[in-house]
Amino acid sequence: MTGPVLAPSVTGVVVVPSAPLLLPEHAGQVDAVPELRAAIRETLSGLPVGEVALLPEPRWGERVGRFLLADAGLGDRVAVSAARALVVVGDGSARRTEKAPGYLDERAAGFDAAIEDALRSGDAGALAAVDVELGQELLAAGAGVLRALGAAVVESGRAVIAADLVHAADPFGVRYWVARWQLG
Amino acid sequence: MLKLGRRTFADDATLMMAIVNRTPDSFYDQGATWAEEKAFERVAEVVEQGAEIVDIGGIKAAPGAEIGVEEEKERVVAFVARVRAAFPDVVISVDTWRAEVGRAVCEAGADLLNDAWGGNDPQLATVAAEFDAALVCTHVGGARPRTRPHRVAYDDVVAAAIEHTVGEAERAVGVGVARESVLIDPAHDFGKTTRHSLEVTRRLDEMVATGWPVLVSLSNKDFVGETLDLPVGERLTGTLAATAIAAWHGARVFRVHQVVETRQVVDMVASIAGTRPPVRSVRGLA
Repeated sequence: MTGPVLAPSVTGVVVVPSAPLLLPEHAGQVDAVPELRAAIRETLSGLPVGEVALLPEPRWGERVGRFLLADAGLGDRVAVSAARALVVVGDGSARRTEKAPGYLDERAAGFDAAIEDALRSGDAGALAAVDVELGQELLAAGAGVLRALGAAVVESGRAVIAADLVHAADPFGVRYWVARWQLG
Repeated sequence: MLKLGRRTFADDATLMMAIVNRTPDSFYDQGATWAEEKAFERVAEVVEQGAEIVDIGGIKAAPGAEIGVEEEKERVVAFVARVRAAFPDVVISVDTWRAEVGRAVCEAGADLLNDAWGGNDPQLATVAAEFDAALVCTHVGGARPRTRPHRVAYDDVVAAAIEHTVGEAERAVGVGVARESVLIDPAHDFGKTTRHSLEVTRRLDEMVATGWPVLVSLSNKDFVGETLDLPVGERLTGTLAATAIAAWHGARVFRVHQVVETRQVVDMVASIAGTRPPVRSVRGLA
């Protein structure tokens, strides 16, 4: 992570998955994740148009994040320093079941549960404590950016005054979250 | 756009035309749907299976007892009316070479006249024009209706098929059939040896390149049977192989006994060709 991830002007934070199946170039005739997509659209639609920065996981986050912003009518990403909202693009372990892309790793459930609890309760400290190395082993694409979010909020000394876990599911053995935080 | 009577279809749509025989003696089903009720059940079944078109025929293609105009009309006209009433959205095609029969079925609600004997009765196109129906123009190499090929030869069978079908198509447009309502069909097995039908399949892209939408009728035919040395009941795999090649070359309409299997093959080929997205796309992307 280079540069600041959180500007003082940012009051809204949204977490969305970075699954490439969300992208139109990979779409089938039938949307494989209609509920997830609806949750993303609804949550992003509350953000200010043209004032959203991305905190994307390094592999797919940028491409998926830009598409989701455009899809929600938010325009393209802006620089962190100019942003009033931050969209963190990353998700949980891809090793949650035997059918999961990375096959079953028994540690995945606990790893994801800790992140999920933190997102639900607005616990920035818990996010800042995410074990990024374990996250890599568990194919959790969002481990690094979620940890960076937690660390940035803790470092800024700002409070999470509202937290909402809008959607959490793992239809293909990968944990997807849509969460919303409001910073004081 | 392809306009088949009351229905229109996009230029990249592939269509299943299900064969419905009102005959006691057709080669594949041997009279299984000769009884009107059985034929009606067949229509209901293929519509349920997703066939966009039913092709109703009252006379088998092979030689046999002569069936006159009145007898042919008795077999198909009232049946067309019944299908029209029960299935308002299905495209009704009638396989006939006779203009008089064509007129009667169009009055009963047919959308498409499948002139399987290559323009034997020039008035058939006039009837199609009169009712704003669609027309299939086939190539049978000058064969008379209900004759088997005997010592047929072509300098170039594909060139002959293109010349005849395109000529018939233009003639149909000339007498008033809508340009978007004309299909061409090389007519596998009709006036052709097995090698002719194989060559037409191999070079179907040349017919597609004429710009006219191409219909193929491959289902369980003798060219498949001879190629694999298999009797009528064992030709599905060979039929589907030929179907895949025809689909790859750009055929648009597939006249078939087996709707479900053919639809799967044609959809699979379209997705390989890149013209049809997979239904689901999750593998490697979750």
